[in-house]
Amino acid sequence: MFLARISLRNFRNFENEVIELPQEGAALIGANGQGKTNLLEAIYYLEIFRSFRGARDDQLVNFGAEYFRVEAHVACVDDGEGGEAVEVAAGYVRDGRRKKVTINGGEAARMAEGIGRIGAIIFTASDVEMVAGGPGARRRFLDIALSLVEPSYLADLQRYRQILTQRNELLRERGDASSLAAWNDGLVAVGSRIMQARARWISDARPRFSRHCEAISGGEEAAMEYAPSVSMINGEQADGSKLTREEWESAFREQLDRLRERERRRGVTVVGPHRDDLRLGLLGRRDQLSLRAFGSAGQQRTAAIALRMVEAETWRESRGRRPIVMLDDVFAELDPQRATRMFEMLSSQEWGQVIVTSPKPDDYALMGGRLSEYRIERGRVNRI
Amino acid sequence: MSVIDDLASEFARLPGIGRKTAYRLTHHLLKSPPEEAGRLAGAIVTMAERVKRCAICGSLGETDPCEFCLSGVRDRTTICVVEEASDIAAIEGSGSFRGLYHVLGGCLSPLDGIGPEELKIDALLARLDDGVGEVILATNPSVEGEATATYLHKVLASRGMSVTRLARGLPVGGDLEYADGVTIAQALAGRRDM
Repeated sequence: MFLARISLRNFRNFENEVIELPQEGAALIGANGQGKTNLLEAIYYLEIFRSFRGARDDQLVNFGAEYFRVEAHVACVDDGEGGEAVEVAAGYVRDGRRKKVTINGGEAARMAEGIGRIGAIIFTASDVEMVAGGPGARRRFLDIALSLVEPSYLADLQRYRQILTQRNELLRERGDASSLAAWNDGLVAVGSRIMQARARWISDARPRFSRHCEAISGGEEAAMEYAPSVSMINGEQADGSKLTREEWESAFREQLDRLRERERRRGVTVVGPHRDDLRLGLLGRRDQLSLRAFGSAGQQRTAAIALRMVEAETWRESRGRRPIVMLDDVFAELDPQRATRMFEMLSSQEWGQVIVTSPKPDDYALMGGRLSEYRIERGRVNRI
Repeated sequence: MSVIDDLASEFARLPGIGRKTAYRLTHHLLKSPPEEAGRLAGAIVTMAERVKRCAICGSLGETDPCEFCLSGVRDRTTICVVEEASDIAAIEGSGSFRGLYHVLGGCLSPLDGIGPEELKIDALLARLDDGVGEVILATNPSVEGEATATYLHKVLASRGMSVTRLARGLPVGGDLEYADGVTIAQALAGRRDM
């Protein structure tokens, strides 16, 4: 499967562009501010139906236009992976803030039905925030990775947030214990499904993460582990992946009870998956050092890339085909050794179509001539 | 404002009707024979005058107590609890429930300032003495409806009442192929032995 065509109308600085892409992939070359990242943003918009840069939909509409529309054609190739060709399109109209998602021409009943149809993973320079920033960025990473591979995860997450908002409101206005208890059942049931999914995913991802970090850095070992806000009862099952739904539920419920006084004082729910973290560390000689606090810029970037590679791998395994990999000016951030190793990894058979952006058409960007070169200038794209 | 605008702005206050639809309805009435407007106005006035809320169950009808509460043939041992009076029509339409109803008048929602005191829960508890054996909780499967059901379950179970909840899963007559992922996941979680 590969992205064969993308059409953009009034998306950011693109007025009306149709771009055909070859199966191997493309290097999008252009100076800053010409639209390279905007193009990746448009492609990824069709994966999650919002901006990966956190922009609001109305900010994606070309200045002075009333709407934008993006369409993608994902084609099938005879590579034994199977899969079906698909057309994914999304449009947004400023007036009334209407958003419409269509799959093969039919409107999607729920946004969740359309999510993940393109099969793209994006690596950006700002990914380093996942390692160097607060836990929110890591939860967002987990949530997106899990939503793309577990069908009910996104629905659970939305439901959890809704329950949390209602429950926090009740705590803020000092509601009585029996009213609070009415919200606990839902919080515990849905929250436990989320924690169980995260624990399993992380347990599965841990060895992959170490492997990728080691491969890119050239031998440095790193580790990841789940740091749930609901502490696990069973010490020996440290990563929580073996805990049953019931065990998560009883741990969550027990801690809600224990922290009742504190949450009354603070007026918010103080325990639950909304406070989870994903701990990333460097394996030192004696103990594990937090990558966030002690990692060098290069180590943090390496870990961020490794996280995306893990995301791509789990995606591939759950769908049985290779995702489209997009690299937004990632090589520039790495030292030459790391850039070369990453480049070699991506050239292997395990990876499918690659779309790279870069200010200059060097060997990395073109992946040693494997990728076709496209020039982007003021929202116009031309194949060289 | 003209009388045309007056009517349109009245229509626009109704749920699901925006400004454009309000004007379309208004102009439709203007083009129709005057009797039609009279019939509509009459029906609205009659409805407002005659429909009462049942003091026992909270349903809407022309009598108080309502036809369900007065009925001699309905099963008085089962009460079906719903959020709004309009939910009764849906359950009645199924023709498979012959018990009594109780309208809560909403569901728990701290964000909207609705707590247990704002719902008709005391009125429900007051009805439990007369030989009621089962309470069916038919609140919506939304986050708020579920919390309301949980709350009621605790209150009712502590009084030794048998409490049941509507099942959820696949729609009857629907093709599995067309059901969305969330619905199928729910149906799988709630599968039963055969």
